[in-house]
Amino acid sequence: MSTPSQAKTGMIDFRGVNKWFGPLNVLKDITLSVEPREVVVVCGPSGSGKSTLIRCINGLETIKDGDLIVDGQRLGDPATNMTLLRTEIGFVFQSFNLYPHKTALENVTLAPIHVRKIPRAEAEQAGRDLLAKVGLADKVNAYPSQLSGGQQQRVAIARCLGMRPKIMLFDEPTSALDPEMISEVLDVMVAVAEEGMTMMVVTHEMGFARKVAQRVVFMDAGAIVESGTPEAFFSAPKTDRSRAFLSKILRH
Amino acid sequence: MLENFSFRTIIEYLPLFGQGLITTVWLSALSFAGALAVGVVLAAMNLQRSQLFRVPAKAYIDAVRATPLLAQLYFLYFGLPRLGFVLPELVVGILALSLNSGAYIAEIIRAGILSIPRGQVEAGVASGMTYVLRMRLVILPQVFKVTIPPLLGQAIVLVKDSALLSLISVSELTRAGQLLASDRFMPAEGFLTIAAFYLLLYYCLKGLAGLSSRWLGLQPARSST
Repeated sequence: MSTPSQAKTGMIDFRGVNKWFGPLNVLKDITLSVEPREVVVVCGPSGSGKSTLIRCINGLETIKDGDLIVDGQRLGDPATNMTLLRTEIGFVFQSFNLYPHKTALENVTLAPIHVRKIPRAEAEQAGRDLLAKVGLADKVNAYPSQLSGGQQQRVAIARCLGMRPKIMLFDEPTSALDPEMISEVLDVMVAVAEEGMTMMVVTHEMGFARKVAQRVVFMDAGAIVESGTPEAFFSAPKTDRSRAFLSKILRH
Repeated sequence: MLENFSFRTIIEYLPLFGQGLITTVWLSALSFAGALAVGVVLAAMNLQRSQLFRVPAKAYIDAVRATPLLAQLYFLYFGLPRLGFVLPELVVGILALSLNSGAYIAEIIRAGILSIPRGQVEAGVASGMTYVLRMRLVILPQVFKVTIPPLLGQAIVLVKDSALLSLISVSELTRAGQLLASDRFMPAEGFLTIAAFYLLLYYCLKGLAGLSSRWLGLQPARSST
């Protein structure tokens, strides 16, 4: 793995990023570079700014100052076409956010057909293949309300992959799931990671982090407190805050 | 009393009522389509962050809701020609109903849009959809589903309001009743007959609303071609 540096531009590059919600400094001087094909897990206590961090990458949140460069394009720059950039970034939500009036297949093909302008037949073939890949070949015509949480989240992942993105962002993808459904979603995420996708994953699933992440970033109170390989972070956390956090999530 | 009630005259005038009914149906349908368009645009304006859009939309909605439809209709019919716009009465009628009903529909649609979870907008944004695209593909189809009952109510009001167009000599259903009443001095026959036709239209609209909510609703399995 290459070491990120100020001079080189990663796939996702935070340089001194700050963000406020009113008087609250929710992102404090964030500097972080994610290389192509790298998988970074972001963890930290509730309210530490980890969701906000990845929501900035596709512009669901805007930053106040500092630079955020994604796929070579600076966010907030007039020359950056945000809508176009977003087609390169898949985003998986905690609450799935599938379109309830569309079938699983239609959820997957909607943006490819209307945004990417892929011919319908081609998009549907790709959509069927993707749904088969996430283990839902038999649910192609099911509506979200007919699917379990784990199945919905797998459709949501397929929906992102349908756009053939360069980056995938996951915002606590398993937090809204019943325990027995978590592994089916994590398995899909592992498969996506192993295909070389650049990923940032906000999660407390430490098994997933150990398996596929090259780096774990620990956030607290809007700042990156610690960053390292999963082994180093889990076995020898360097700060009191990360130790306290790990003791809480690993105890049960 | 009933011996004075002439069913024969009603039957004699049925072709006239039929024509009036047909006119009422298509001009109401056109007006409702226009009102939906006006309503969607106003609702979208009203939900923008910029005052530039919100203030005119709110002012328009208030103005329409605060003034009688009859006054609006007379303004368009008698007032516009004075300002140099001469339009046929049918066009004026459809315009008046669209512009009037659109203000009410705007509020229905705005409430409907606000009822859609924020995550739906974000899912559309995240997949690179433009504002127009995610409105068309993601938000509005869901909005129409939840707003069918209030929209039905508005459609019924619109059909009844179209009776006012008889006052600018559009030969719709109420006009037919008026003709029977004035030609033969038979107001009971004339207005009871049109009332029956309006009732019929009401049930048709209810049936249509039921069908469309089933059409927009969740079907167990639908082949996607």
